[in-house]
Amino acid sequence: MDHAYLGIDVGSISTKGVIIDRDNHILGSEYIWTEGNPIWAVKELIRRLEQQFDKEHYKIVATGTTGSARKLAGTIVGATMVKNEITAHAVGTTTFYPNVRTILEIGGQDSKIILVENGVAVDYAMNTLCAAGTGAFLSSQAKRLGIDVEEIGAIALTSKHPTPIAARCTVFAESDLVHKIQNGHERKDIIAGVCNAVAANYLNNVGKGKKIESPVVFQGGVSKNAGVVAAFENMLGCKVIVDENGHLMGALGAAILAKKSDKRKEFDFSVEDMEFRTREVLCGRCTNNCEIICVYRNGMMIDFWGNRCERGANFK
Amino acid sequence: MEKPVTIGIPRAMLYYRYKTLWLTYFEELGIKTVVSAPTSKKTLEEGAALAIDEACLSLKIFLGHVKALVGKCDYILVPRISDFGLNYEMCSRFQAMYDLTKTVFRNTGQKFISYNVEMLNKRSEWAAFMGLGQFFGFPLKMVKKAYDRAKKAEQKQWKADLKVQDGLLSSEKPKILIAAHGYLIRDAYIGRTVTDFLKSMDVVPVRADIIDRDEAMKASKELSPTCKWLLNREILGSIALNRDKVNGIILLSAFPCGPDSMVNEIITRRVKGIPILNLVMDGQDGTAGVETRLESFIDIIRFKEGTL
Amino acid sequence: MESNKKVAFPRIANYNCAIKYILEKGMEVRCILQPEMTKRTIEIGAKYSPDYVCTPFKSSLGSMIEALEAGADSIMMTNGVCRLGYYGELQEQILRDLGYQFEFVNLSEYTTGKVKDYLKAVKRINPKYSFPKLMLALKDGLAMAEYVDNVTEEYYKNCGFEQEKGAFRKVFRQFLTEMETARSRGEIDAGYREAMQRMGRIPLDKPEWPLRVGVIGEFFTVMDPFSNLEVEQKLADMGVEVHRWMNVKNRMLHYSGEKNMNVKIRELCTYEMGPTSTANIWCAKDYAEQGFDGLIHVKSAGCTPEIDVMPVLQRISEEYKIPVLYLTYDSQTSDVGMMTRLEAFYDMIEMRKKVV
Repeated sequence: MDHAYLGIDVGSISTKGVIIDRDNHILGSEYIWTEGNPIWAVKELIRRLEQQFDKEHYKIVATGTTGSARKLAGTIVGATMVKNEITAHAVGTTTFYPNVRTILEIGGQDSKIILVENGVAVDYAMNTLCAAGTGAFLSSQAKRLGIDVEEIGAIALTSKHPTPIAARCTVFAESDLVHKIQNGHERKDIIAGVCNAVAANYLNNVGKGKKIESPVVFQGGVSKNAGVVAAFENMLGCKVIVDENGHLMGALGAAILAKKSDKRKEFDFSVEDMEFRTREVLCGRCTNNCEIICVYRNGMMIDFWGNRCERGANFK
Repeated sequence: MEKPVTIGIPRAMLYYRYKTLWLTYFEELGIKTVVSAPTSKKTLEEGAALAIDEACLSLKIFLGHVKALVGKCDYILVPRISDFGLNYEMCSRFQAMYDLTKTVFRNTGQKFISYNVEMLNKRSEWAAFMGLGQFFGFPLKMVKKAYDRAKKAEQKQWKADLKVQDGLLSSEKPKILIAAHGYLIRDAYIGRTVTDFLKSMDVVPVRADIIDRDEAMKASKELSPTCKWLLNREILGSIALNRDKVNGIILLSAFPCGPDSMVNEIITRRVKGIPILNLVMDGQDGTAGVETRLESFIDIIRFKEGTL
Repeated sequence: MESNKKVAFPRIANYNCAIKYILEKGMEVRCILQPEMTKRTIEIGAKYSPDYVCTPFKSSLGSMIEALEAGADSIMMTNGVCRLGYYGELQEQILRDLGYQFEFVNLSEYTTGKVKDYLKAVKRINPKYSFPKLMLALKDGLAMAEYVDNVTEEYYKNCGFEQEKGAFRKVFRQFLTEMETARSRGEIDAGYREAMQRMGRIPLDKPEWPLRVGVIGEFFTVMDPFSNLEVEQKLADMGVEVHRWMNVKNRMLHYSGEKNMNVKIRELCTYEMGPTSTANIWCAKDYAEQGFDGLIHVKSAGCTPEIDVMPVLQRISEEYKIPVLYLTYDSQTSDVGMMTRLEAFYDMIEMRKKVV
């Protein structure tokens, strides 16, 4: 039996999973929408991964989770490694691109930049206060323009005169967009403008003060959008690499980190049949009113978190 | 002086307050000056790319003007003005401006020149200008003369401005007091869009920052005793002195101006009985949104006056 | 002579015990200490505050409301060198508009350039105060504040390495309780000595070269654990030696003065850029030169002076090759988002250390 490692990345928009072998070869991978239900998404992801997995020759000996729901996912699958998505992305990308200097990442609600020197992350930044210029922004604009978010890239590339669109914040961008539509700008130009706005906003906000050096790797859900890729190449004046598995880098990083750590626990596919439930409880022991999240497996509480002080630490 | 020196002056921030003083002073010394072009969309975009995202719109515009001057002059003038005494202070951004700008442009090879006014530390404008002239190698006597003449020109200009202001305030048309920092009202890309639109609606915009400054200080203390910022005191005083002469007040502010965030709240809570519009500009919303708000504000005023 | 006023002030970090001591022993009034700040404090504060004012305005307004709810009839508010100096006037106006009745003693109104004018403020709190008592209590109260800083420094440098989890916290908590109940200089000194000795005896598992992070930033948010979502505790819990120079002791009681501080950072800035800028720039440079593994810059959203220091910090980061994490706090900043950033920061400096 050869050893295999599972990595799961649960983001706000999509959930990604990957199984790798000792040499980081991908044995199986999946990408599904989270649809606001991370528990369901994790179980569904595991069900699909199981179908691709060769149980005759491999067994999963370590599991890593990452993404905004990393803790919940980690509890459900019994992860041996729970890591934040910034580190997971850096590790995943540097494993496949050892020379990378800059990683651009735009996901559903977060965007980040990671600067790498000699294979080690040396600086990073994340979007600060709002979700402007992220995947959520692109989806809402696509909806407003009545097109599918997947179509944006191809349409944007046909524009020769992208419309300038303000994108500092979603609210402003939307009102500006409405004005531009009413003013009679062509749809493809507006769509290209939205792509430019996403890239410009990213560089102005997350990339502010960061020296972006080549090779540049672009990943996260938005990297699938050719319009944004073109906008980045245009603004940075260099090639921007998009890996076909770019959307999996977080999950890959989680799997690699699980492999590297010495913690081992065989993964059990039967979690897909178990019933998981979360319950939000207001602690109420002080006016912080911490929202404590309790996780139940088949009716039994297996973990809880969310308290700010020790008043809630003995919560049961 | 072996070589004539050129000084670049960004058309932003304190330029609007000191332009007569600066331009006359340098002219008297035989120093050439170059002033950046009025703010355009490009100025703002380039400035925004250089500024920390959370900085105010006015700083972003300022840095855009500095960028436009880089490489086009020997020195760029960025004064460092801290205060004119207790409770006559400047926003701390004006304390930081020189070092901030120098740091942002540190890799361009551009040289900057500053002068420091900090009365709480006994550093007067006079001393600052003496130092500035001597830095360029002029004899003290000549510098004194240049400063004296610049001060006189400034006074003369100010008197003329006040006279024009009196004229505006006695106009028959509806008048709106624009309570805002001078550098915001007069900015071509921000304030001008507001004043131009008001004029097109046959309303007279009256700048709050043109006011007898001594009287304004006195009046401001009644409206807000502990307000510490000189520029906001002028606006507060102007509101107190002119509120009966105008039909409405627009509190025009650059997002997210520190002093305005608090002083404008005091104004809305204490100045009653006159229509007040709070307008926060962030340079992003197209003019259409602003115009809609201005139009409805003017409607309110006309409705109140019974002229709608 | 005692006064029957019930005086309160907005809570600030762990210095409440010292302020309370000065009020009770030096001005002979009853001090009402409202509950510690919680999410509710900042929520009610934000509700009645202007939108884009800096965050400490909102939390201190909330804290004032909670003091009035706890039965205070007088509120004392500090002055300050940035927007803080105008907090009092606007907060009083907001509270009056809400209908609260109370006496408001705003030190900004007594800021005239002459220190003795502050005595007029004291007189309003207690017209029959005793000057010698006030001076003595001031001396002892400031000593208490300094002790709080010393104990806090020890705490965050070491608590991440304790063998028995919670050992440091226990001593720290008890120390703060003792300071809150201390009635004399003897009790203050004894409580301090005991805390330092007990901390010194706690067994540690500390590597020879632990990860060291310097925390710098805006005076209030960087010192107040509630406002910065306990950034220092979270770092320490990951196994980091946490240093923070910025505190009342260093910035106010033993500050070497703007000029002497500026000498050390001449090449980075010419003038004072804002109230705590010189200290923060020096601090960042000093930590970098000491070979710290990273810096964390903490500020509330909209803090003008700290925003203006950031370009200089970026320069230090570039020239000294030290990573800086910039954290901005508004009334809605979430624990979860900050944890992700901190964890990633920790991973990054840890991996860097391994390579270097």
